[in-house]
Amino acid sequence: MSAAESATAIHRNQVDLLDFIDWSGVECLNQSSSHPLPNALKQGYREDEGLNLESDADEQLLIYIPFTQVIKLHSIVVMGSEEDGPKTVKLFANREHMGFSNVSDFPPSDTAVLSQDNLKGKPVVVKYVKFQNVRSLTIFIEDNQSGSEITKVQKIALYGSTVETADMKGLKKIEDH
Amino acid sequence: MVLEATMICIDNSEWMRNGDYGPSRFQAQADAVNLICGAKTQSNPENTVGVLTMAGKGVRVLVTPTSDLGKILACMHGLEIGGEMNLAAGIQVAQLALKHRQNKKQQQRIIVFAGSPVKHEKKTLEMIGKKLKKNSVTLDIVNFGEDDEGKTEKLEALLAAVNNNDTSHIVHIPAGPNALSDVLLSTPIFTGDGEGGSGFAASAAAAAAGGISGFEFGVDPNLDPELALALRVSMEEERARQEAAAKKAAEESSKQEKGGEEQDATMTERASEGASEADNKKNEFLALAMSMDEPASSQDLQDTEMSDAAAEDPELALALQLSVQDSAKDSSSQADMSKLLADQSFVSSILASLPGVDPNNPSVKEVLASMQSQSEPQQKQDEDKAPKEEDKK
Repeated sequence: MSAAESATAIHRNQVDLLDFIDWSGVECLNQSSSHPLPNALKQGYREDEGLNLESDADEQLLIYIPFTQVIKLHSIVVMGSEEDGPKTVKLFANREHMGFSNVSDFPPSDTAVLSQDNLKGKPVVVKYVKFQNVRSLTIFIEDNQSGSEITKVQKIALYGSTVETADMKGLKKIEDH
Repeated sequence: MVLEATMICIDNSEWMRNGDYGPSRFQAQADAVNLICGAKTQSNPENTVGVLTMAGKGVRVLVTPTSDLGKILACMHGLEIGGEMNLAAGIQVAQLALKHRQNKKQQQRIIVFAGSPVKHEKKTLEMIGKKLKKNSVTLDIVNFGEDDEGKTEKLEALLAAVNNNDTSHIVHIPAGPNALSDVLLSTPIFTGDGEGGSGFAASAAAAAAGGISGFEFGVDPNLDPELALALRVSMEEERARQEAAAKKAAEESSKQEKGGEEQDATMTERASEGASEADNKKNEFLALAMSMDEPASSQDLQDTEMSDAAAEDPELALALQLSVQDSAKDSSSQADMSKLLADQSFVSSILASLPGVDPNNPSVKEVLASMQSQSEPQQKQDEDKAPKEEDKK
């Protein structure tokens, strides 16, 4: 998939899943208290380059995002700086309350190694088939670009569609044809 | 009121036989554990507490986190002392127990009683601390008992590694006359991160603090709460009485306008016998007045002398007088009181404020007139009745 294609894929029927995040259940392990998760997730905060999500004790981060309804995840955008931005990102669908100790217990639904382009905003398309029925998403940031002690994430955006909406669009397409 | 799952790590090593914390270190620890469990479950009924021992044959979980206080207290029985404490393993097992808590919404907390020497390296402890912080587990350390070189330093290092925004604490308790639990009560471990803690902890801390610094009234609130309460209340009463006396003097001088006989007659009527219709009516009026003027006036006034002889009417009258005065305290100065009764403006103002009272009501007038004539002897009766204060409300 070329960059152009994936970009249009987002625009076509994928929406920013920000509205479907269940904020009461959002958790982030090993985040620094002065640089918490909303800095990277929330509208407005994530656009601000000065506000980052930073890790605390070491460079790993474990982010748990539940949704208010079932969604399909198409792609994610993870933005960060060149050195401290995340490198290896593992995604787990529908795993509740994971801890650092059991991230290796089961295989991730998808793994992404972020390039510098990704860190600048290019979305990472995920294995769509694995994210058809997602109630919650766990993002495990394993390490960062330069191997430093602290990982800094400026923005995390999720793109996909809701299950109902997708059905509607599916109906429409059939009618068109 | 934070929702929390707590694991308490008890040191039951040989060092706990020592008696420098009465009756024995181990017993002091057990008392402290009981206190903590009580405080946690009281501050939030959904809190759970678990207990494990660090010494003996090995780390052993006695109770997994539960909100059942009985279970926790029961497991403290029959614990054997022996072996050496394994701090690292204890904390790690505690962390594991917390990880598998039933309610994932609870915050994780570990409370460690470190009474014997710590044989682990500082590095090891720091790594454990880091791991706890990474998994957002908070740690409270109670450093008591043995104090060999490096122990305090190691524990401080452990705390520094775990601490995230002052949510973890360390407390050093030297041996002394005060019980371990009492000293703990005033620490942030009980008061919980500056929240102010639960009523349980706060009141217990106050009691303990009172105990340590010398009891306020020479009575231990713990041993005899009623007596302590009575003493405290009577002191407040006395203070209020003096305030009232001062206020009355000021009020009397200011109220000199009307000359309604009715008013003080009413009051004096109340103070005496009175079983007539008019009296009853006035009782109602007075009750109304009381409720309207100063509903809360006599709240803090509690009669610790328990006078049971006071009839209803005199009490009503007294209560009315109390409510009339802003401070709502009965004056020990009888002279002032009778003057007040004689002060018609007072009574007139009260009657005027009563919704159902019509001073022009013939029956009211009649009784008031009769009362006026009795005002002199009434005052003497007032003096008798005055000490018998009772809160009518």
